[in-house]
Amino acid sequence: MMSSVPGPDKKTKLMVYTIEECPVCGQKTKRAFAVGDYVTKDGAKCTKCGNQAKITLVYAEGSKPSG
Amino acid sequence: MFTLLPSVLQASSNSSGGGIADLLNSNTVFLIFWVGFFFVTFFYQARLQSYMALNDISRGLNKLKVMKDKSRKEAIDYLVNVGKASADPAQRVDQFLDYVTIMPVETDPNGIIPKIDHVVTTNNDRVRAEVGALLGGQSNPVTVSISENLLEVATSLNQIHKIVRHYYLLGKKTNSYITLLQLQMLMPMIIQEADALLNAVDSFKLGQPVGDGIGPVIVSKYMTGGEKRAIAKDTVMAISEYKGRKLYVLKADGPMAYVGQPGVAITKIIQEMGVKPSAIVMIDAALKLEGEKTGEIAEGVGAAIGGIGVEKFQIEEAATKAKVPLYAILVKQSILEAITVMRKEIAEAAEKATQVLNRVIEEKTKEGDDVVIAGIGNTLGVAQ
Repeated sequence: MMSSVPGPDKKTKLMVYTIEECPVCGQKTKRAFAVGDYVTKDGAKCTKCGNQAKITLVYAEGSKPSG
Repeated sequence: MFTLLPSVLQASSNSSGGGIADLLNSNTVFLIFWVGFFFVTFFYQARLQSYMALNDISRGLNKLKVMKDKSRKEAIDYLVNVGKASADPAQRVDQFLDYVTIMPVETDPNGIIPKIDHVVTTNNDRVRAEVGALLGGQSNPVTVSISENLLEVATSLNQIHKIVRHYYLLGKKTNSYITLLQLQMLMPMIIQEADALLNAVDSFKLGQPVGDGIGPVIVSKYMTGGEKRAIAKDTVMAISEYKGRKLYVLKADGPMAYVGQPGVAITKIIQEMGVKPSAIVMIDAALKLEGEKTGEIAEGVGAAIGGIGVEKFQIEEAATKAKVPLYAILVKQSILEAITVMRKEIAEAAEKATQVLNRVIEEKTKEGDDVVIAGIGNTLGVAQ
Protein backbone atom coordinates (compact mmCIF):
# COMPACT_ATOMS: atom_id res chain seq x y z
CA MET A 1 0.00 0.00 0.00
CA MET A 2 1.43 3.36 -1.02
CA SER A 3 1.36 5.82 1.80
CA SER A 4 1.14 9.57 1.61
CA VAL A 5 0.67 12.05 4.41
CA PRO A 6 0.21 15.84 4.40
CA GLY A 7 3.45 17.77 4.81
CA PRO A 8 4.08 20.46 7.39
CA ASP A 9 2.91 23.27 5.10
CA LYS A 10 -0.28 21.28 4.21
CA LYS A 11 0.33 22.00 0.47
CA THR A 12 3.16 19.50 0.12
CA LYS A 13 2.26 15.83 0.17
CA LEU A 14 4.77 13.50 1.70
CA MET A 15 5.30 10.22 -0.12
CA VAL A 16 6.78 7.45 1.99
CA TYR A 17 9.55 5.31 0.49
CA THR A 18 11.43 2.18 1.51
CA ILE A 19 15.14 1.86 0.72
CA GLU A 20 16.51 -1.65 0.23
CA GLU A 21 20.27 -2.16 0.24
CA CYS A 22 22.29 -5.20 -0.75
CA PRO A 23 24.79 -5.96 2.04
CA VAL A 24 27.21 -7.52 -0.49
CA CYS A 25 27.39 -5.12 -3.45
CA GLY A 26 25.78 -2.06 -1.82
CA GLN A 27 23.15 -1.64 -4.55
CA LYS A 28 20.30 0.55 -3.30
CA THR A 29 16.70 0.29 -4.48
CA LYS A 30 14.00 2.84 -3.71
CA ARG A 31 10.36 1.78 -3.78
CA ALA A 32 7.05 2.87 -2.31
CA PHE A 33 6.49 1.94 1.33
CA ALA A 34 4.29 -1.09 1.92
CA VAL A 35 2.55 -1.82 5.23
CA GLY A 36 4.70 -4.32 7.11
CA ASP A 37 8.01 -2.81 5.98
CA TYR A 38 10.51 -2.11 8.76
CA VAL A 39 14.22 -1.35 8.99
CA THR A 40 16.41 -4.54 8.91
CA LYS A 41 13.58 -6.61 7.35
CA ASP A 42 14.65 -8.79 4.41
CA GLY A 43 13.81 -7.21 1.09
CA ALA A 44 13.84 -8.56 -2.46
CA LYS A 45 16.83 -10.25 -4.10
CA CYS A 46 19.46 -7.80 -5.31
CA THR A 47 19.00 -7.15 -9.03
CA LYS A 48 22.78 -6.81 -9.48
CA CYS A 49 24.27 -9.74 -7.57
CA GLY A 50 21.24 -11.82 -6.52
CA ASN A 51 21.94 -11.63 -2.78
CA GLN A 52 19.29 -10.94 -0.21
CA ALA A 53 18.80 -7.18 0.20
CA LYS A 54 17.70 -5.61 3.50
CA ILE A 55 15.53 -2.62 4.26
CA THR A 56 17.86 0.06 5.60
CA LEU A 57 15.61 3.12 5.66
CA VAL A 58 11.98 4.17 5.50
CA TYR A 59 11.42 7.87 4.99
CA ALA A 60 9.02 10.48 3.68
CA GLU A 61 9.87 12.88 0.92
CA GLY A 62 7.87 15.92 -0.13
CA SER A 63 6.25 16.16 -3.53
CA LYS A 64 4.28 19.18 -4.71
CA PRO A 65 0.86 18.19 -6.07
CA SER A 66 0.62 18.66 -9.83
CA GLY A 67 -1.88 21.21 -11.11
CA MET B 1 -9.81 64.10 16.68
CA PHE B 2 -8.22 67.49 17.47
CA THR B 3 -8.11 68.45 13.80
CA LEU B 4 -11.89 68.63 13.91
CA LEU B 5 -11.91 71.10 16.80
CA PRO B 6 -11.62 74.38 14.82
CA SER B 7 -14.52 73.52 12.57
CA VAL B 8 -16.65 72.58 15.57
CA LEU B 9 -15.82 75.87 17.28
CA GLN B 10 -16.75 77.65 14.09
CA ALA B 11 -20.03 75.78 13.96
CA SER B 12 -20.71 76.77 17.57
CA SER B 13 -19.99 80.45 16.94
CA ASN B 14 -22.39 80.48 13.98
CA SER B 15 -25.08 78.74 15.95
CA SER B 16 -26.77 81.99 17.09
CA GLY B 17 -27.73 82.77 13.51
CA GLY B 18 -28.05 79.30 11.97
CA GLY B 19 -30.02 77.13 14.46
CA ILE B 20 -29.52 73.58 15.61
CA ALA B 21 -29.32 72.08 12.12
CA ASP B 22 -26.07 73.94 11.42
CA LEU B 23 -24.67 72.90 14.75
CA LEU B 24 -25.21 69.26 13.94
CA ASN B 25 -23.23 69.31 10.76
CA SER B 26 -21.17 66.32 9.77
CA ASN B 27 -18.07 67.43 11.69
CA THR B 28 -19.98 67.57 14.94
CA VAL B 29 -21.34 64.09 14.37
CA PHE B 30 -17.81 62.87 13.78
CA LEU B 31 -16.64 64.61 16.93
CA ILE B 32 -19.39 63.02 19.01
CA PHE B 33 -18.51 59.65 17.49
CA TRP B 34 -14.82 60.02 18.27
CA VAL B 35 -15.40 61.27 21.79
CA GLY B 36 -17.80 58.36 22.36
CA PHE B 37 -15.27 55.96 20.89
CA PHE B 38 -12.56 57.40 23.13
CA PHE B 39 -14.66 56.90 26.24
CA VAL B 40 -15.75 53.40 25.26
CA THR B 41 -12.17 52.27 24.57
CA PHE B 42 -10.92 54.05 27.70
CA PHE B 43 -13.37 52.40 30.07
CA TYR B 44 -14.19 49.16 28.25
CA GLN B 45 -10.89 48.30 26.55
CA ALA B 46 -10.17 45.36 28.85
CA ARG B 47 -13.69 44.04 28.40
CA LEU B 48 -13.45 44.35 24.61
CA GLN B 49 -10.11 42.56 24.57
CA SER B 50 -11.52 39.86 26.84
CA TYR B 51 -14.37 39.44 24.37
CA MET B 52 -11.91 39.10 21.47
CA ALA B 53 -9.73 36.67 23.48
CA LEU B 54 -12.79 34.59 24.32
CA ASN B 55 -13.65 34.40 20.62
CA ASP B 56 -10.10 33.39 19.69
CA ILE B 57 -9.86 30.75 22.41
CA SER B 58 -13.31 29.44 21.57
CA ARG B 59 -12.23 28.88 17.95
CA GLY B 60 -9.05 27.11 19.13
CA LEU B 61 -11.04 25.04 21.58
CA ASN B 62 -13.34 23.88 18.78
CA LYS B 63 -10.27 22.84 16.77
CA LEU B 64 -8.92 20.92 19.77
CA LYS B 65 -12.27 19.18 20.20
CA VAL B 66 -12.26 18.08 16.56
CA MET B 67 -8.67 16.77 16.98
CA LYS B 68 -9.52 14.99 20.22
CA ASP B 69 -12.60 13.32 18.70
CA LYS B 70 -10.65 12.33 15.57
CA SER B 71 -7.81 10.71 17.55
CA ARG B 72 -10.34 8.81 19.69
CA LYS B 73 -12.14 7.60 16.56
CA GLU B 74 -8.86 6.56 14.91
CA ALA B 75 -7.86 4.59 18.02
CA ILE B 76 -11.23 2.82 18.16
CA ASP B 77 -11.13 2.07 14.40
CA TYR B 78 -7.63 0.61 14.73
CA LEU B 79 -8.64 -1.55 17.69
CA VAL B 80 -11.68 -2.84 15.77
CA ASN B 81 -10.23 -3.22 12.25
CA VAL B 82 -6.60 -4.20 12.87
CA GLY B 83 -6.65 -5.35 16.49
CA LYS B 84 -9.88 -7.33 15.94
CA ALA B 85 -11.22 -6.25 19.33
CA SER B 86 -13.70 -8.83 20.55
CA ALA B 87 -16.35 -6.33 21.73
CA ASP B 88 -17.13 -2.66 21.04
CA PRO B 89 -14.14 -0.91 22.63
CA ALA B 90 -15.67 2.62 22.70
CA GLN B 91 -16.72 2.55 26.37
CA ARG B 92 -13.37 1.17 27.60
CA VAL B 93 -11.47 3.64 25.43
CA ASP B 94 -13.43 6.49 27.03
CA GLN B 95 -12.57 5.16 30.50
CA PHE B 96 -8.93 4.88 29.39
CA LEU B 97 -8.85 8.52 28.21
CA ASP B 98 -9.85 9.79 31.67
CA TYR B 99 -7.42 7.60 33.61
CA VAL B 100 -5.05 9.69 35.74
CA THR B 101 -1.48 9.15 36.93
CA ILE B 102 -0.81 10.82 40.27
CA MET B 103 2.82 11.85 40.64
CA PRO B 104 4.56 11.38 44.02
CA VAL B 105 5.04 14.21 46.49
CA GLU B 106 7.85 16.53 45.33
CA THR B 107 9.09 17.62 48.77
CA ASP B 108 10.48 14.17 49.61
CA PRO B 109 14.09 14.69 50.78
CA ASN B 110 15.03 11.01 50.34
CA GLY B 111 14.83 10.96 46.54
CA ILE B 112 11.75 11.14 44.39
CA ILE B 113 13.07 9.30 41.30
CA PRO B 114 12.44 5.71 42.50
CA LYS B 115 8.89 6.73 43.38
CA ILE B 116 8.29 8.32 39.96
CA ASP B 117 9.77 5.20 38.37
CA HIS B 118 7.39 3.04 40.39
CA VAL B 119 4.32 5.09 39.46
CA VAL B 120 5.30 5.33 35.77
CA THR B 121 6.07 1.58 35.56
CA THR B 122 2.72 0.80 37.19
CA ASN B 123 1.01 3.05 34.65
CA ASN B 124 2.85 1.50 31.68
CA ASP B 125 1.96 -2.01 32.88
CA ARG B 126 -1.62 -0.92 33.35
CA VAL B 127 -1.77 0.52 29.80
CA ARG B 128 -0.43 -2.71 28.30
CA ALA B 129 -2.84 -4.84 30.33
CA GLU B 130 -5.73 -2.58 29.35
CA VAL B 131 -4.84 -2.77 25.65
CA GLY B 132 -4.38 -6.55 25.96
CA ALA B 133 -7.87 -6.81 27.43
CA LEU B 134 -9.31 -4.59 24.67
CA LEU B 135 -7.74 -6.76 21.98
CA GLY B 136 -8.95 -9.95 23.61
CA GLY B 137 -5.55 -11.64 23.84
CA GLN B 138 -4.11 -10.31 20.56
CA SER B 139 -0.60 -11.73 20.39
CA ASN B 140 0.96 -9.55 17.67
CA PRO B 141 3.23 -7.25 19.73
CA VAL B 142 3.43 -4.65 16.94
CA THR B 143 -0.37 -4.26 16.90
CA VAL B 144 -0.47 -4.08 20.71
CA SER B 145 2.30 -1.45 20.85
CA ILE B 146 0.68 0.64 18.09
CA SER B 147 -2.64 0.46 19.95
CA GLU B 148 -0.88 1.66 23.12
CA ASN B 149 0.62 4.61 21.23
CA LEU B 150 -2.69 5.53 19.57
CA LEU B 151 -4.44 5.49 22.95
CA GLU B 152 -1.67 7.63 24.44
CA VAL B 153 -2.09 10.17 21.62
CA ALA B 154 -5.86 10.22 22.21
CA THR B 155 -5.28 10.61 25.98
CA SER B 156 -2.85 13.51 25.44
CA LEU B 157 -5.26 15.33 23.13
CA ASN B 158 -8.10 14.71 25.58
CA GLN B 159 -6.00 16.20 28.39
CA ILE B 160 -4.97 19.22 26.32
CA HIS B 161 -8.61 19.90 25.42
CA LYS B 162 -9.73 19.55 29.04
CA ILE B 163 -7.05 21.88 30.41
CA VAL B 164 -7.65 24.57 27.77
CA ARG B 165 -11.41 24.31 28.32
CA HIS B 166 -10.88 24.65 32.09
CA TYR B 167 -8.94 27.90 31.79
CA TYR B 168 -11.33 29.21 29.12
CA LEU B 169 -14.38 28.65 31.34
CA LEU B 170 -12.55 29.88 34.45
CA GLY B 171 -11.48 33.08 32.67
CA LYS B 172 -15.01 33.58 31.36
CA LYS B 173 -16.64 32.92 34.75
CA THR B 174 -14.33 35.16 36.75
CA ASN B 175 -14.04 37.73 33.96
CA SER B 176 -10.26 37.45 34.35
CA TYR B 177 -8.75 39.46 31.54
CA ILE B 178 -5.19 38.29 32.37
CA THR B 179 -6.10 34.57 32.38
CA LEU B 180 -7.81 34.88 29.01
CA LEU B 181 -4.99 36.94 27.50
CA GLN B 182 -2.35 34.40 28.59
CA LEU B 183 -4.40 31.55 27.18
CA GLN B 184 -4.97 33.46 23.93
CA MET B 185 -1.21 34.00 23.57
CA LEU B 186 -0.47 30.32 24.20
CA MET B 187 -3.16 28.99 21.84
CA PRO B 188 -1.04 28.95 18.62
CA MET B 189 1.65 26.82 20.35
CA ILE B 190 -0.97 24.53 21.91
CA ILE B 191 -2.69 24.03 18.54
CA GLN B 192 0.71 23.34 16.90
CA GLU B 193 1.53 20.62 19.45
CA ALA B 194 -1.94 19.12 19.20
CA ASP B 195 -1.66 19.13 15.40
CA ALA B 196 1.69 17.29 15.65
CA LEU B 197 0.09 14.66 17.88
CA LEU B 198 -2.80 14.17 15.48
CA ASN B 199 -0.42 13.85 12.52
CA ALA B 200 1.46 11.13 14.43
CA VAL B 201 -1.63 8.92 14.26
CA ASP B 202 -1.12 8.20 10.53
CA SER B 203 2.49 7.09 11.02
CA PHE B 204 1.63 4.93 14.02
CA LYS B 205 -1.26 3.20 12.23
CA LEU B 206 0.97 2.18 9.32
CA GLY B 207 3.94 1.20 11.49
CA GLN B 208 6.27 3.71 9.82
CA PRO B 209 9.45 4.80 11.61
CA VAL B 210 9.12 8.26 13.15
CA GLY B 211 11.79 10.98 13.36
CA ASP B 212 12.43 10.11 17.01
CA GLY B 213 13.53 6.66 15.80
CA ILE B 214 16.76 7.94 14.24
CA GLY B 215 18.84 6.73 17.23
CA PRO B 216 17.55 3.14 16.91
CA VAL B 217 18.05 3.31 13.08
CA ILE B 218 21.74 4.19 13.56
CA VAL B 219 22.54 1.60 16.24
CA SER B 220 20.59 -1.18 14.48
CA LYS B 221 23.46 -1.31 11.95
CA TYR B 222 25.84 -2.25 14.76
CA MET B 223 23.52 -5.05 15.92
CA THR B 224 23.13 -6.80 12.56
CA GLY B 225 24.33 -10.37 12.73
CA GLY B 226 25.00 -10.27 16.47
CA GLU B 227 23.06 -12.28 19.02
CA LYS B 228 20.34 -10.15 20.58
CA ARG B 229 19.03 -10.62 24.07
CA ALA B 230 16.49 -8.88 26.26
CA ILE B 231 18.30 -6.80 28.88
CA ALA B 232 15.41 -4.78 30.30
CA LYS B 233 11.72 -4.44 29.66
CA ASP B 234 11.20 -3.88 25.89
CA THR B 235 14.96 -3.37 25.49
CA VAL B 236 17.45 -5.51 23.59
CA MET B 237 21.24 -5.64 23.57
CA ALA B 238 23.75 -7.13 21.16
CA ILE B 239 27.51 -7.44 21.54
CA SER B 240 29.54 -6.53 18.47
CA GLU B 241 33.03 -5.36 17.62
CA TYR B 242 34.41 -2.20 16.05
CA LYS B 243 38.14 -1.68 15.40
CA GLY B 244 39.21 -3.80 18.35
CA ARG B 245 36.60 -2.37 20.75
CA LYS B 246 33.84 -4.51 22.24
CA LEU B 247 30.52 -2.74 21.72
CA TYR B 248 27.48 -3.28 23.95
CA VAL B 249 24.77 -1.95 21.66
CA LEU B 250 21.26 -1.43 22.98
CA LYS B 251 17.96 -0.10 21.75
CA ALA B 252 14.26 -0.64 22.37
CA ASP B 253 12.84 -3.85 20.95
CA GLY B 254 11.66 -3.13 17.40
CA PRO B 255 9.75 -2.97 15.19
CA MET B 256 7.30 -2.38 18.02
CA ALA B 257 6.51 1.20 19.05
CA TYR B 258 8.57 0.95 22.25
CA VAL B 259 11.05 3.28 23.90
CA GLY B 260 12.36 0.61 26.28
CA GLN B 261 14.29 1.13 29.50
CA PRO B 262 17.81 2.22 28.51
CA GLY B 263 18.47 3.41 32.07
CA VAL B 264 17.84 -0.03 33.52
CA ALA B 265 19.81 -1.62 30.66
CA ILE B 266 22.94 0.55 31.14
CA THR B 267 22.79 0.06 34.93
CA LYS B 268 22.63 -3.72 34.40
CA ILE B 269 25.55 -3.72 31.96
CA ILE B 270 27.75 -1.82 34.43
CA GLN B 271 26.55 -3.13 37.80
CA GLU B 272 25.30 -6.67 37.12
CA MET B 273 27.39 -7.77 34.13
CA GLY B 274 30.51 -6.13 35.61
CA VAL B 275 31.42 -4.38 32.36
CA LYS B 276 33.75 -1.39 32.82
CA PRO B 277 33.08 0.68 29.70
CA SER B 278 35.51 3.40 28.66
CA ALA B 279 32.61 5.42 27.26
CA ILE B 280 28.84 5.47 26.94
CA VAL B 281 27.69 7.00 23.66
CA MET B 282 24.03 7.91 23.33
CA ILE B 283 22.36 8.78 20.03
CA ASP B 284 19.02 10.54 20.15
CA ALA B 285 16.73 12.94 18.33
CA ALA B 286 16.80 16.47 19.76
CA LEU B 287 14.31 19.27 19.33
CA LYS B 288 15.74 21.94 17.07
CA LEU B 289 15.41 25.62 17.75
CA GLU B 290 13.59 27.74 15.16
CA GLY B 291 16.12 28.55 12.43
CA GLU B 292 18.11 25.35 12.85
CA LYS B 293 18.05 22.86 9.99
CA THR B 294 16.33 19.49 10.22
CA GLY B 295 18.90 16.69 10.25
CA GLU B 296 21.72 18.81 11.66
CA ILE B 297 24.00 16.83 13.94
CA ALA B 298 25.23 18.10 17.28
CA GLU B 299 27.80 16.48 19.53
CA GLY B 300 28.08 16.89 23.26
CA VAL B 301 28.50 15.29 26.63
CA GLY B 302 25.84 14.07 29.02
CA ALA B 303 22.89 11.71 28.90
CA ALA B 304 21.02 12.29 25.65
CA ILE B 305 17.54 11.20 26.60
CA GLY B 306 14.21 12.96 27.12
CA GLY B 307 11.13 11.85 28.96
CA ILE B 308 10.13 12.34 32.55
CA GLY B 309 13.72 12.07 33.84
CA VAL B 310 13.82 8.59 35.40
CA GLU B 311 15.95 7.00 32.65
CA LYS B 312 18.24 10.03 32.50
CA PHE B 313 18.77 9.88 36.27
CA GLN B 314 19.54 6.14 36.17
CA ILE B 315 22.08 6.57 33.34
CA GLU B 316 23.77 9.53 35.05
CA GLU B 317 23.85 7.65 38.36
CA ALA B 318 25.40 4.51 36.83
CA ALA B 319 27.92 6.50 34.77
CA THR B 320 28.92 8.71 37.72
CA LYS B 321 29.43 5.77 40.10
CA ALA B 322 31.59 3.96 37.56
CA LYS B 323 33.25 7.22 36.40
CA VAL B 324 32.37 6.53 32.78
CA PRO B 325 32.22 9.54 30.42
CA LEU B 326 28.88 10.09 28.69
CA TYR B 327 28.93 11.30 25.07
CA ALA B 328 25.91 12.45 23.10
CA ILE B 329 25.17 12.57 19.37
CA LEU B 330 21.98 14.46 18.54
CA VAL B 331 19.98 14.69 15.32
CA LYS B 332 17.98 17.92 15.23
CA GLN B 333 14.29 17.98 14.30
CA SER B 334 11.03 19.71 15.19
CA ILE B 335 8.38 18.24 17.47
CA LEU B 336 6.19 17.51 14.41
CA GLU B 337 9.06 15.74 12.63
CA ALA B 338 9.94 13.76 15.77
CA ILE B 339 6.54 12.11 16.12
CA THR B 340 5.53 11.75 12.47
CA VAL B 341 7.00 9.61 9.68
CA MET B 342 10.77 10.08 9.39
CA ARG B 343 11.68 12.83 6.90
CA LYS B 344 14.32 12.33 4.22
CA GLU B 345 16.61 14.94 5.83
CA ILE B 346 16.58 12.99 9.09
CA ALA B 347 17.06 9.59 7.41
CA GLU B 348 19.99 10.99 5.42
CA ALA B 349 21.55 12.26 8.66
CA ALA B 350 21.92 8.61 9.76
CA GLU B 351 24.99 8.20 7.53
CA LYS B 352 26.66 11.34 8.91
CA ALA B 353 25.75 10.42 12.49
CA THR B 354 27.29 6.96 11.98
CA GLN B 355 30.55 8.61 10.86
CA VAL B 356 30.47 10.84 13.94
CA LEU B 357 29.80 7.80 16.16
CA ASN B 358 32.74 5.91 14.64
CA ARG B 359 34.98 8.93 15.15
CA VAL B 360 33.87 9.33 18.79
CA ILE B 361 34.60 5.63 19.45
CA GLU B 362 38.04 5.91 17.81
CA GLU B 363 38.98 9.17 19.55
CA LYS B 364 37.64 8.49 23.04
CA THR B 365 38.51 4.81 23.45
CA LYS B 366 41.38 2.53 22.53
CA GLU B 367 41.65 -1.02 21.25
CA GLY B 368 40.53 -3.63 23.80
CA ASP B 369 38.13 -1.19 25.51
CA ASP B 370 34.45 -1.82 26.17
CA VAL B 371 31.99 0.78 24.86
CA VAL B 372 28.25 1.08 25.48
CA ILE B 373 26.25 2.44 22.52
CA ALA B 374 22.59 3.36 23.16
CA GLY B 375 20.10 4.27 20.43
CA ILE B 376 17.41 6.27 22.21
CA GLY B 377 13.90 6.84 20.86
CA ASN B 378 10.71 5.23 19.70
CA THR B 379 11.70 2.17 17.69
CA LEU B 380 8.49 1.80 15.67
CA GLY B 381 9.34 0.28 12.29
CA VAL B 382 12.98 -0.26 13.27
CA ALA B 383 13.99 -3.79 14.18
CA GLN B 384 17.53 -4.95 15.01
